[in-house]
Amino acid sequence: MAPSRRGRIAAAGTLLAFAGFLVLRSAQQTPLFAQASAPGLIAVFSAQSVYTVPVLQVGAQPYVGLVDLLEPLGSIETKVNGKKLKLYFTSAGNRQQQGDFQEGKDTGKIAGDKLKLAANFVLQNGRGYVPLSSVPELLSRLGLKPVEYRPTSQRLLIGNVSERYTAELKKGAPSRLLLGFPAPVNPTIATEPGRVRLTFKRDPVVAPADHVKYDDPLITGATFSEHNGIAELEITGTAPLMANFSDGGRTIIVTAAPGPPPTQAVQQLPVPAPQAAMALPQPAPQPPPRPRFLVVIDPAHGGADIGAAITPQLPEKDVVLALARRVQHELQAKGVAASLLRTGDYAISLDQRAISINAARPALYIVLHAANTGTGVHVFTEMLPPENIAPGGLLPWDTAQAAFSDLSGSVAGSIAAELESRKLPNATLPAPLRPMNNVAAPAVAIEIAPPGGDIADIASANYQTAVAQSIAAGVAAVRSKLPEVTP
Amino acid sequence: MTRRIVAMLTLLLVVAAALGIYAWYLHRKVKGDEERLRQEQQQVAAPASGPQATVTLYLASDANATLTKKTISIPLPAERSEQARAILRALFGTYLQSGSPHPIGAGADVRDVYLLSDGSAVVDTNLAFADAHPSGVLAEDLTITSIVATLNANDPKITRVKIIVNGAERETLAGHADLRRFYLASTIAQLAKELQ
Repeated sequence: MAPSRRGRIAAAGTLLAFAGFLVLRSAQQTPLFAQASAPGLIAVFSAQSVYTVPVLQVGAQPYVGLVDLLEPLGSIETKVNGKKLKLYFTSAGNRQQQGDFQEGKDTGKIAGDKLKLAANFVLQNGRGYVPLSSVPELLSRLGLKPVEYRPTSQRLLIGNVSERYTAELKKGAPSRLLLGFPAPVNPTIATEPGRVRLTFKRDPVVAPADHVKYDDPLITGATFSEHNGIAELEITGTAPLMANFSDGGRTIIVTAAPGPPPTQAVQQLPVPAPQAAMALPQPAPQPPPRPRFLVVIDPAHGGADIGAAITPQLPEKDVVLALARRVQHELQAKGVAASLLRTGDYAISLDQRAISINAARPALYIVLHAANTGTGVHVFTEMLPPENIAPGGLLPWDTAQAAFSDLSGSVAGSIAAELESRKLPNATLPAPLRPMNNVAAPAVAIEIAPPGGDIADIASANYQTAVAQSIAAGVAAVRSKLPEVTP
Repeated sequence: MTRRIVAMLTLLLVVAAALGIYAWYLHRKVKGDEERLRQEQQQVAAPASGPQATVTLYLASDANATLTKKTISIPLPAERSEQARAILRALFGTYLQSGSPHPIGAGADVRDVYLLSDGSAVVDTNLAFADAHPSGVLAEDLTITSIVATLNANDPKITRVKIIVNGAERETLAGHADLRRFYLASTIAQLAKELQ
C-alpha cells in the first residue's frame, strides 16, 4: 500500500513540475497583448493635430501607447533601461518634462512628482503603455491643459478645442434651424425622409444639450450622440429636409428640401396658393468646387506590416509615422494643406492606398520610408519611362505615374536642393515602387537612413525635424509649378 | 512524516533538474538544427561547367548608392539561359561574401533563368533571396538594377527582365520594390550609367 502511495505522490509531483515548467515556458513566449480583444481607437483632437490612437486591452483594462499618444502633440523621446522607461516630452510653449515609469508598477513620476496610474504600467518591445483612464491626468501633468475625455464617444479633447454649437429655430414658411459653430466645420451629411444626419469625424463638436424638441410644423427635434470617435447630430422633421453651409462653414442651415418638379406636383398634389408657392425657398445654387493644393503624406507600412526593422525595437512603420506628422506640421506652417494617409498603427494594402490617394485628388503625393541601409536621405521618383497623356485622358492603372514624371522630378530636385542646403547627405534616383506607380499626381518617395553611424539617430527629433523642414521647403519652392486640383 | 516530506521534495527537485536538463538539451538541438540549416543555405551552388569567359557585373554599394562595373572570369556554359544563370550566381556570390557593400540574404540563389523569343528574361530566384533580403527602397532598388544591368550587359538580346520567387510572382521584393512588372533594360541601363 505504501509504495503505491509513494508512486502516486511521485507521479503527481512529476506532473506538477512538468505543468509548472510548461506554464513558465509559455509565459515567456506569450506576447502580453495576445489575449487582447479587438483593438479600438480613440480620436484625439488638439490644436496641433487630429489623430487616432489604438486602444489595446490588457486583461479588462484599456491601454494606450505613450508614443502613439504624445508624438503628434510635441517632441518625444523615450529611453528604456530594463524594466524602466524614461520619457522626455516637450510640447509647444512648454519646457521639457521628464517622466519615469516602471513595468509592473502602478505609479510613475512626472517632473519628479508622483503620478498614480489606474493600473500597472506596461512595457513591451521597448514601448510603454498606460491605462486609458489615466491619460487625462498624465497629459495635464505634462502641461497639456485642459483635457476632456468623453468615454461614450472615445474622444479626447486637448486644450480649448471643443466646438460647442448653438441651435436657433427661425419659424416661418418654411422654418429654418440655424446651427452656429465657433469654427468652420466639415461634417458628412446624410438625408433620409424626414431627417438629416450630420456626422462630425474631424471636428471636436460638443452639444449644448443632447435632445431638443421643437414646437414647429416642419422641424420637430434634434438629437446629439457620440460613438466610436465621432459625433452625430440628427435633425428630424415632418417633411424631407436638407442642410446647407454658409458663413464659410461656420453655419449650417437645415430647412425643407425643395419639392418635386412642377409637372409631378401638378399630378400628385393639390395646386398650392400662389403666395405659398412664392414663399418656397429656392435651393441656393451650390458653388462649383474650387481647385485647391493638397499634399497627401503616406507613412508607409502599418499594422502587421512593420516594414524594415531599423532595430529590434524600432520598426520602420513607427519611424515614418513620426516623420509624417513632422512633415505635415512643417507644411501647414508654410500654409500648405497636408493630410496623412495613415494616422495610427494599422495596415492599409497597396491597392487601398492607391485608391485613397487618387480619390483625395492631391496636388502632390509624398510617401515616407525608413531603412538602415546607407546614410542620409534618398529621394525617389517612379522608375517609369515618361508618357504623354492627353489632358483628361484615361490613365493605365499600373503606369498612371508616368504622365507626371516631369513634375515629380521637379519636386524631387527641389527637396534634394533643400536637403543639400541643410548639409544632409542625400541622393535622388528612380525606384520601382508601389503604390507610387498607380498615383495620378506628382509623387515622390523619401527614404531616410541614419544620418551617421548611430542607427538610433534615425528617430531623433533634431534629425527628423531637419528632414521635415527640407521636405516642406522643397515643396513650397515648387508649389507654383504644380497645378491645383479640383476635388 | 517529516522524512516523507523531505523525500518528496528531494524527488521533486530531481524531477525539476531532469526537466531543466531536458529543456536545455532541446534548446541546443533546435539551435543546432537552425545553424545546420543556415550553413546548408549558405553553401554555394555547384559552379557551372564550361570554358572560362570574362563577364561583366554591375555591383551595388549601399553606402553611396552606386553601381560599379567589374569584369571577372567564370566558367560559362554554352546555352544562353544557363549562361545568364551562371552570371547571376556569380553576382549573388559576390553579394553573399562577408563584408559585401551590398549584402543580400544568406542562401540567396537563382533557380533558373527563362529566355523568351521577344527579348524577355524571367529570373526565378529561391525563397531565401526575397525572404532574407534587407528591407528598404534603396537596398531593393539597387538589387534589381544590378541584376537587370548585369544581364543586359552580358546578353544585349535581353531587353526586359522580370523577377519571380520560387516559381511564382510576388508583390514586392522585401516590402518595397515592385516585382510584378517587367523591367526595361534600356531604362535600367540609363540608371546604371547615372549611378556609376
